[in-house]
Amino acid sequence: MDTLIQHFADTIRAATEKRRPLRIRGGGSKDFYGNAAAGEDFDVTGHRGIIDYEPTELVITARAGTPLAEIEAAMRGHGQMLGFEPPHFGGSATLGGCIAAGLSGPRRAAAGAARDFVLGLRMLDGRGTDLRFGGQVMKNVAGYDVSRLMTGSLGTLGVILEVSLKALPLPQAELTLSCELPRSEAVELMNAWAGQPLPVTATCHVEKRLYVRLSGAESAVRAAAKKIGGEEVPNAAEFWSGVRDHRDLFFSGDGPVWRLSLASTAPELGLAGHQMVEWGGALRWLKTDADAGSVRKVAREAGGHATLFRRGGQTAGAFHPLPEPLMRLHRRVKQAMDPAGVFNPGRLYPDF
Amino acid sequence: MQTNLADFIRDTPQGREAEAILRKCVHCGFCTATCPTYQLLGDELDGPRGRIYLMKQVLEGEAATEKTRLHLDRCLTCRACETTCPSGVQYGRLLDIGRAVVAKQVPRAGLDKLRRDTLASVLPRPALFNPLLGLGRIARNLLPKVLDDVVPETPSRARPWPLGGHARRMLLLDGCVQPALSPATNAAAARVLDRLGISLVRAPGAGCCGAVAFHLDAQDKALDAMRHNIDIWWPHVEQGAEALLFTASGCGVMISDYGHLLAHDPAYAERAKRIAALACDLGMIIEKEKSQLKQILISNPPRGKFVFHPPCSLQHGLKLKGRVETLLGELGFELAPVADSHLCCGSAGTYSILQPEISVQLQRNKIAALTASAPAQILTANIGCQTHLQSATRLPVRHWIEAVDDLLSEVH
Amino acid sequence: MPVDLERQRAVCAALRAFMPARNVLFEREDVTPYECDGLSAYRQPPMVVALPENESQVCEILETCHAMRVPVVARGAGTGLSGGALPLGNGVLLSLAKLKNILAIDAPARTARVQPGVRNLAISEAAAPHGLYYAPDPSSQIACSIGGNVAENSGGVHCLKYGLTVHNILKLRVATIEGEIVELGGGGLDAAGYDLMALLTGSEGLLGVVTEITVKLLPRPECAQVVLAAFDDVGAAGEAVANVIAAGIIPAGMEMMDQPATLAVEPFVNAGYPTDAAGILLCESDGTREEVADEIARIEKIMQDSGAHLVRVSRDEAERLKFWAGRKAAFPAVGRLSPDYYCMDGTIPRRRLAEVLRGIAAMEKNYGLRCANVFHAGDGNLHPLILYDANDPGQLQRAELFGAEILKLCIDVGGTITGEHGVGVEKIDSMCVQFGAAELEALHALKRAFDEHELLNPGKAVPTLHRCAEFGRMHVHSGAEKFPELPRF
Repeated sequence: MDTLIQHFADTIRAATEKRRPLRIRGGGSKDFYGNAAAGEDFDVTGHRGIIDYEPTELVITARAGTPLAEIEAAMRGHGQMLGFEPPHFGGSATLGGCIAAGLSGPRRAAAGAARDFVLGLRMLDGRGTDLRFGGQVMKNVAGYDVSRLMTGSLGTLGVILEVSLKALPLPQAELTLSCELPRSEAVELMNAWAGQPLPVTATCHVEKRLYVRLSGAESAVRAAAKKIGGEEVPNAAEFWSGVRDHRDLFFSGDGPVWRLSLASTAPELGLAGHQMVEWGGALRWLKTDADAGSVRKVAREAGGHATLFRRGGQTAGAFHPLPEPLMRLHRRVKQAMDPAGVFNPGRLYPDF
Repeated sequence: MQTNLADFIRDTPQGREAEAILRKCVHCGFCTATCPTYQLLGDELDGPRGRIYLMKQVLEGEAATEKTRLHLDRCLTCRACETTCPSGVQYGRLLDIGRAVVAKQVPRAGLDKLRRDTLASVLPRPALFNPLLGLGRIARNLLPKVLDDVVPETPSRARPWPLGGHARRMLLLDGCVQPALSPATNAAAARVLDRLGISLVRAPGAGCCGAVAFHLDAQDKALDAMRHNIDIWWPHVEQGAEALLFTASGCGVMISDYGHLLAHDPAYAERAKRIAALACDLGMIIEKEKSQLKQILISNPPRGKFVFHPPCSLQHGLKLKGRVETLLGELGFELAPVADSHLCCGSAGTYSILQPEISVQLQRNKIAALTASAPAQILTANIGCQTHLQSATRLPVRHWIEAVDDLLSEVH
Repeated sequence: MPVDLERQRAVCAALRAFMPARNVLFEREDVTPYECDGLSAYRQPPMVVALPENESQVCEILETCHAMRVPVVARGAGTGLSGGALPLGNGVLLSLAKLKNILAIDAPARTARVQPGVRNLAISEAAAPHGLYYAPDPSSQIACSIGGNVAENSGGVHCLKYGLTVHNILKLRVATIEGEIVELGGGGLDAAGYDLMALLTGSEGLLGVVTEITVKLLPRPECAQVVLAAFDDVGAAGEAVANVIAAGIIPAGMEMMDQPATLAVEPFVNAGYPTDAAGILLCESDGTREEVADEIARIEKIMQDSGAHLVRVSRDEAERLKFWAGRKAAFPAVGRLSPDYYCMDGTIPRRRLAEVLRGIAAMEKNYGLRCANVFHAGDGNLHPLILYDANDPGQLQRAELFGAEILKLCIDVGGTITGEHGVGVEKIDSMCVQFGAAELEALHALKRAFDEHELLNPGKAVPTLHRCAEFGRMHVHSGAEKFPELPRF
């Protein structure tokens, strides 16, 4: 393995010297996500395998090229899981890509985001230097939290080599209920539930139906189901993985798909098109032909931001533009980690 | 904390006590959380930890200035910090020592001195205070707003004092300002205890417990007042008074400290200790007799909503946090919860006169918290808080014993 | 280091241009009480203390300091235990204690927008009428400020289940050293661009000054219960912890205290801890009634099976709070055992606990100092409290060496030197053991991205390579004094 890392480092140094950009890639399952990155493909899938998994410590450490499915299978074997329920968007998804994209699935609102589960990582920066931040313990505040900065940075700050993640026990029981309800009422209900001590671990409103997942001790799930009402959904696991990986019918078609991250209580968007609501109201998927400016205006006014998740012919930048002082900080952070600007230039913002 | 006390005080009793207290402080800062002035002002120098530091500097030989004196003056001596402190720092004791040293180093002058001297002379002496209070009430309409608030309204009338003659006797600390400001309180205490088969005895000639002078930099004057009281009370103690009972918790804290404060006076040390041991808050006496009282109240239980304001002297000074509330609850009073009940109301003895700005802010906050549940009456256990709060609300503010007496008076 | 009076005058004058004079302190008498935070072993009176009353004053102070190249140390409630708010003799101490307003509570959205000086507990108190609370609960929650919590990424006894500060905040308003405001995070659960909010959290005031925080509020669990279990052997207690986790239970809190710690706390709190046990475990379950009943029964059984000689379940809320009160008062209560204590904060893999405690016991003998241990057992965060007397010459130095050796042991078993208290000034040399030169250089580069002239809390959290080189040499001749530039008492 060390020779492979050495090879990675050499490639980076050579690229830095020649100012030749690299396009870091794992399984390619999220190629569609973000802006198109320029550069020569830099494949990390060869760097794979679980390094350390200690179920009673609730920590798993694996190499970036390890398929996500392999990690999840190993954890399931010990009655554990990745709490943020990461989307795969295909069988080839790797751990590195999962962390670099920083996306989280239906359990996000209840359990936390990808970055919340990252305990530490090993990476190569823009000089090809091998760095380790964080660790394999639950709590660690030594040094800045570079591991969490790396999460969701879309490979623009460095090449992730290894990641340590916090594990969670699989719930003893899980049950999904559903009922027909208009969207605005569903959002209200999601927020009301979140304000009560209920074991809700996922919510979704799509095609006029509200879905809610309960997880925990058998008795607790049963008691909560009684309180909440609705009819039990068969094959619920299939439904939630469809939502997670965008296999749900809602996502079919070739048009643009917007991802709006808003305050959970944000009112109706006032934009034409189809919507799916997740995360207790804090995530709204929108299929619309509205122009990027109006979508982003709506998102900003609702306290959030809008990502052009699937371009579908739209030409706008994938990510919500930042105010200048904040953009300046971004440029400086990029400069600190990747001074020659070789990693995934343009993938996040055209400036870098 | 590390200490290095200066020569002038290191080997004195005060120096030794101060050092022991300072060394217990680990500088954790928990005390700032419950300090009323820190919560208002947000300056380390106006919280217990900062004041401890200021005093430490002086005790270690740095010269004090008016500023240190000001920050110490701003302390209400509510001792909420002592309740919060997990290390057992006796902040109140340290402050007594620190204030005395600072007062000597930075003597007061002008209006400040005049005000303090006047308060120290007038308040403890009913012969002077009562006529002045009368004048103040007459002049209310002529007074500027700040002083107007300080002069209390005419109090409720006292019910007749019982005849007494029970075998069980307790001595009453009459207090200096209370008989004039709230004559009903002690009468109510005497009447309730009479129903419980206890006679409350007054000792003519006893004066102020010493607290007023003690907290106005006149500690020698205060010690003289204590000695005088001991002389007056002692015959009653010898005749078998069960307890020295007080209805104002502010006075109670002072008397409980007699033993400590006179420990170095060979002529009084023993008796002072005994007096301090006999001192007992009215609530704790009633607590012991509560089953009898509950029996009587079965036929006339309390009605309406009340709130209780626990005086700092009761909850932090005497460390009786929650006891009177529990007792009242058991007697059938419906007490609504009050936010931040650990915070001082801003009365704090003469504080309302000496630090009016902070006092008024605390008063406002306290009234807001007490009236949030729209109660019919505010009950408390110290004359200082009672008059201070009464000046800012139309709701009746009374000693809780009066509310008990109301009920008993209707049961024959 | 003597104060540069001319510079002091100039800085005060510049600050007084936009702040009332009473909020600019500079005389020795006034600034000395600010010379340390909760770690009183390190002291340094600041050149100037600035007490801004609002965000725009904070920005102006920073802008002024930036223009004049004056270093700035931000301070919240001053309860930190790593000297993160230790002032600089040539710098401004920026106290945020006057920014103490809860600006808004949005009950339906379950958020609170607060100023940095708001006390941690005050947020939960304000949210209580809505059935909500703020989850991270460091032991100093009664006094510590939320701004300080963000700077240190504070945890608490419930963080295994509910996370650290970083997991419970949604948005920060941050003043940069140039005095500009940037908003990090947002109204939703994520924000566009890099996760600078996560980077700022726990950066110990080196990257920016937080002026406003939006925190997440959670519904109060329907009920909670604690199991108190006593063990004759701390190793067995450690086993019990692993067994709970292996059973698929994530307790709301899981705390261990050894005998010296329970002996310190019990007389003050009367929490009902058995003081004859070698170690006690507190294990809390919260959630719905059904969930708690189920989990408590399982935990009770696991404790018994793991060899506890006493297992008690809190009977009511009052008893539950009492069990916790002892744990929360543990640090300062040690002040009753000894005039001074030195608190360490390593995190270790749980399975190495018994070994680490044995190591510490051996060090107690070597250094001739006692040590009480408090342990966030669920997440492996160990707080050894080294007892010493600062008035006894040499004891502080022995305590520091003792502490450094404990941290080295933590790193050796695969842990870290600080789980939640931060590096501050106290553990800065141990950073040289935990990180290599390359990592430290990367951290410095990030620092410069935010603060080119290194004016924000310089000298804390991340050591210079030069310092590490010095430390390496000192390490060889162990016994040499650390921080020669700091005044010693």
